[in-house]
Amino acid sequence: MQLSHFVFAALLTIAPPLAIAAPADDTSKDIKGLYLITDYPAISVRPGTTSTIALKLQNYGLAPDRYRLAVTGVPAGWTATLLGGGQPVGAAMPPTDGSVPLQLRLEIPANAGTGRETVTVTAEGSGRSLALPVTVTLAKELPAKLHVEAKLPDLRGSAKSAFDYQITIKNDSGRNLVASFAADAPKNFETSFTEAYGSQELSAIPIDAGQSKDIKLHVRPPSTIDAGRYPVTVKVNAEDATADTKLSLEIVGQPRLSLAGRDGLVSARAEAGAQSTIPVVVSNTGSAPADDINLSGSGPSGWKIAFEPKTVDRLAPGEQKEVQAQITPTAKSLAGDYMVSLNAAARGENASAQYRITVSTSTLWGMTGAGVIAAALLIMVGAIARYGRR
Amino acid sequence: MRREGSPWQGLGAVVLKELADNLSSARMRVLEWLIVLTAFAALYGAIGQLRDTTAEDPFLLLRLFTVSRSPLPSFVAILGFLIPLMAIGLGFDTINGEYNRRTLSRILAQPIYRDALMMGKFLAGLATLAVSLTCMWLLVLGLALLFLGVPPGGEEIARSLVFLIVAIVYGGVWLALAMLLSVIFRSPATAALVALGIWLLLTLIWPMLSPAIASVIAPPDIRYEALGLPTPETLEWQQMLARLSPNNLFGEAMLAVLSPTTRALGAVFIDQLQGAILGAPLPFGQSLLIAWPQIVGLIAATIMLFVAAYIVFQRQEIRA
Repeated sequence: MQLSHFVFAALLTIAPPLAIAAPADDTSKDIKGLYLITDYPAISVRPGTTSTIALKLQNYGLAPDRYRLAVTGVPAGWTATLLGGGQPVGAAMPPTDGSVPLQLRLEIPANAGTGRETVTVTAEGSGRSLALPVTVTLAKELPAKLHVEAKLPDLRGSAKSAFDYQITIKNDSGRNLVASFAADAPKNFETSFTEAYGSQELSAIPIDAGQSKDIKLHVRPPSTIDAGRYPVTVKVNAEDATADTKLSLEIVGQPRLSLAGRDGLVSARAEAGAQSTIPVVVSNTGSAPADDINLSGSGPSGWKIAFEPKTVDRLAPGEQKEVQAQITPTAKSLAGDYMVSLNAAARGENASAQYRITVSTSTLWGMTGAGVIAAALLIMVGAIARYGRR
Repeated sequence: MRREGSPWQGLGAVVLKELADNLSSARMRVLEWLIVLTAFAALYGAIGQLRDTTAEDPFLLLRLFTVSRSPLPSFVAILGFLIPLMAIGLGFDTINGEYNRRTLSRILAQPIYRDALMMGKFLAGLATLAVSLTCMWLLVLGLALLFLGVPPGGEEIARSLVFLIVAIVYGGVWLALAMLLSVIFRSPATAALVALGIWLLLTLIWPMLSPAIASVIAPPDIRYEALGLPTPETLEWQQMLARLSPNNLFGEAMLAVLSPTTRALGAVFIDQLQGAILGAPLPFGQSLLIAWPQIVGLIAATIMLFVAAYIVFQRQEIRA
């Protein structure tokens, strides 16, 4: 019991009940008389239910006597019964410095409507008369007795990632409950509940009154799922109380681009100063379509690298497309191997391939060399023609 | 003096006789031994060096020609030095020797024209050079197989064959020069001395002289000097002047052919090397294309020197 609580008492006189804030045990010496007390003299009840209110007939320093008990002011259709020791009682006899526990059971019909009613419990005997008015508020919606909350109700990830929701279930009812839970997820989603820090799967968990427990909901979406937002509802059931919370997981598909030559070949030949065309295959191995793929290339300075077509509008997952890279080394390029990097970039995703281009130079100068030798031979022929033979 | 008869008339006889004379002469033997021994020494050094340092090389055979181990220069460098000596030794007394022995008028009394005599003597000299150089080439292949135990690949053989041909052409330049001098000077000693003088000038002094001349023609730019870079114009002039020496042409051509990773001969701008994969060998055709201007230069020089010798010889009084 708490050290201090409010004690509402209906005194002998017709005076309205007084609230005396004092610890019951310590003040028992100073207080003298008979009291009809309850913890909560004003309650909320939903029509169509039965509510039980604990009462107590307390005797401080008086001789034991018989007190007749009655309930007055009961609205029509209601049933009010005073119970003591599990059965209806009509009178009580509290011992000196002792108390008798009583219960007021109120059966309220479903058509009771809303509003506030006052039911008065009276005790009369040996010249004393006690009255305890209990205010009953009829409410259609009662505050939840269970409360479910997720710390992070919106998770985001790819189709391959795990979604773990931390869920707190709070028992706001006055009783110890065993809460069972279930998750309502789209088709083919796997859901499982585990302890917050453990791997044991659960379907129900006991929660003490007023306490809360943490559990974890693990959702695994099917790996082939499209990008999008998917709702998951967690329902918690305990006796007549239910609660639910809405979670959602957002699956972001990810395009993954790759770039390679035909059959994975990443080398090609080109002639200095001349354009050569290299087939390049762009493929999307990710889980979301790649839009607006821009193709570009970078090579040594002065090289021209163009693509035909320059952009690929859309590439669905698992699809591939062949584009032509047009590479023109500068006319001044030396013969040999060069690295050229080709890039494909869609929003946020890109791929590049390093191409090895073997540049060969034009054989034009070789022809010129042959011309020089021919000219030298012509001079020889000319000399022979000029000087003849001797 | 109309030209009559076949230009080949008498050529075969001259070539065969000269070849026989050349191959049996003591001078030839000395020169051959000189070359073979020097080549052996250089090769031995190269093989030792290759065994010590080279782990793997797709062109192991070619490395034999280019790897040097101090104090000896590489095989190619030794040949670049000695082939002129051999060619001058063969050619310095071709015409004036006959003249001094008073056999020239006797030969020309036969139905052999002067051009056939000159051509025959030149071809015989070239054939002698070719025979000894081919022997040396085979020697290198054999030694490579023996010491390295790696059979040469097709491209290596092709490249080393180009090396052999260019070496013969290089010898042809010096042979033609020596013949020109032997026509000009009546005394073989003078011709030999002048030829050796030119050889020394072009081989040893010219590489030192050409940068000096280049910097006079195109003075270095102070802006490039401040950056520690050579001025492109000066460099270009220097290269052009250096290429007047057949020795330089031979060295450059051999560099391109025997080192497959060579991409260019001469100055290269840095932007031309951007993105280049250095160390990747060039295809054989491309290497040949790089060396081609040098090879053309050697062939053209041979023809021009021979034509000059022919013209001088035609106008000469040969009766003694």
